Amino acid sequence: MIDLKVLTQAVGDLDEKTILSMINDFVATNPSGEDAQKVVLACQQGMAIVGELFETNEYYVGDLIFAGELLSKTIDLLKPVLSGVASQKIGSIVIGTVQGDLHDIGKNIFGSMAEAAGFDVYDLGIDVSPSAFVEKVKEVKPQIIGMSGVLTLAIDSMKNTVKALNEAGLRDSVKIIIGGNPVNEDACKQIGADDFTTNAAEGLKTCQGWVK
Amino acid sequence: MIDAVAMTNERNQLFRDLFSGKTPKRVPVSNPATQDFAIQYAGLDLAECQWDLTKLEPVYDKFCQDFFTDTYPGGSIRIPSHYQLLGSTPIVMSSSGFMQHPEVVGLLAEEYDEFIASPYDCIVEKVLPRLFTELNGAPGKVAMSLAKAMRAQSDDLAYLGTIRAKMNAKYGYAGMVGALTEAPFDFMADFLRSFKGISGDVRRYPDKVAAACDAVLPLLVKKGTLPNPSMLGYTFIPLHMAPYLRDKDFATLYWPTFKKLVETMAGMGQNVQLFVEQDWMRYLDYLYELPENTIMRFEYGDAKLVKEKLGKKHIISGFYPITLLQTGTKQQCIDKAKELMDILAPGGKYWFQADKSVINFEAKGPVAENMSAVLEYVHENGTY
Repeated sequence: MIDLKVLTQAVGDLDEKTILSMINDFVATNPSGEDAQKVVLACQQGMAIVGELFETNEYYVGDLIFAGELLSKTIDLLKPVLSGVASQKIGSIVIGTVQGDLHDIGKNIFGSMAEAAGFDVYDLGIDVSPSAFVEKVKEVKPQIIGMSGVLTLAIDSMKNTVKALNEAGLRDSVKIIIGGNPVNEDACKQIGADDFTTNAAEGLKTCQGWVK
Repeated sequence: MIDAVAMTNERNQLFRDLFSGKTPKRVPVSNPATQDFAIQYAGLDLAECQWDLTKLEPVYDKFCQDFFTDTYPGGSIRIPSHYQLLGSTPIVMSSSGFMQHPEVVGLLAEEYDEFIASPYDCIVEKVLPRLFTELNGAPGKVAMSLAKAMRAQSDDLAYLGTIRAKMNAKYGYAGMVGALTEAPFDFMADFLRSFKGISGDVRRYPDKVAAACDAVLPLLVKKGTLPNPSMLGYTFIPLHMAPYLRDKDFATLYWPTFKKLVETMAGMGQNVQLFVEQDWMRYLDYLYELPENTIMRFEYGDAKLVKEKLGKKHIISGFYPITLLQTGTKQQCIDKAKELMDILAPGGKYWFQADKSVINFEAKGPVAENMSAVLEYVHENGTY
């Protein structure tokens, strides 16, 4: 049987070779879906270590990106043995880079960390119009919307998106968090979001608090 | 009637003094807004005007008339015509008309050795056809696309140059020239391996990343060289990836070739302006090591600490938070300018620029009024 503690630590260390060889060996034993779930959980705990190291300035954004890549590789390897097992989700989030902005690195980091933490993540991509956010919210009824942007024009697009949600009568059904280079407390107030962050790990904590 | 020639001479002297470490007559000021802002401010369509540059002369005239600045407020401009003709993927227009740089991969991880052996050949043969769809195909077709794109670009640049000359003649701006280059690690990330790609490379094959930065350095020196180093102007280097790296990766992979780049430029007699993007506060001791009078425009950080650590050796700029122009009152915006001037201006070596470029204009928003007030304030109160 795979040593889950060693796996968790390897994910925390971003030790790609160890992680991939452990996962490959595990999948080769043709494990039950239940055991595969335990492996996913161990990886999630490893990602929590990554988040902590990021907060204590031992890891930086480049490390978070690499962590996201490792995690999605791991999940891809586990998919065949995970099929048929209902996974427990802690909540759902619709995310997107707002209209006029094409930058998606921050959004992708947040998305992969949120997924690792057990959220259902619906990623609308980049240059997302207010109406696209509204349509997706109607469709999947998430608890949270995450709007991302790098350019200062993103502030106006975020404002327009909140306005569109208001007009569609959806604003009160969701919590809204904004993230990215130009956001701050004043911008958050003006936009009418519930919270803001420039730090994916911190933003994730906010979201976890909302779905508790 | 403004005597534009006298104003140009006076402004040139401000910058000559600034760049050579003397205290100028007053704090030089640059308008942080770009052509994108100017087009919207004139009430015109952003995308349309970038395709039809003949609409821009009145745009610039109004822009120059309404906002005080010592340097021509052209900003860095990505003209869409030649990018479109080349089938560009690294620089594209978004739905709102802003030209942007999305995440692209120009070089595959398995091509590192080839790149290290001969970066120029590899860029021409592998990278450009991958990043620009029209450069990927039969040689004849590629030659035609390149010829069309270069012609379009040179026409557009000539047109913008004419507008600039007219505005300079009317408003008397400092006559500055500029060149643009990147730190080798940033070039590897932005156009070759992508943010995501390089983040993995740093862990998987750091030696290759270091060798690639070494190999590409001469090309980036060439790219940043001014036509004549004694000209009034600078090489602009926007810095990107350092804040996203661990200290040890910065020390071994980013810093060595970046330092060489800046030292080479300074050694040729050129000024260098760094746009210190994101948070570099943990790297201030490194920045101190760069050649004297390197211009550093900061996006974030503690202005007091920067002045204290770097302000005697280097020229400090930036820090003014443009989001305040969107969210603050006029008085709050002016107070912020005063606060920064009080910290950064004493002893000279300070150039008023903002933390980022203002690219967006909302007709009902307060940005234009606040920005105009701030620029006037610094102009009137920046005398030494």
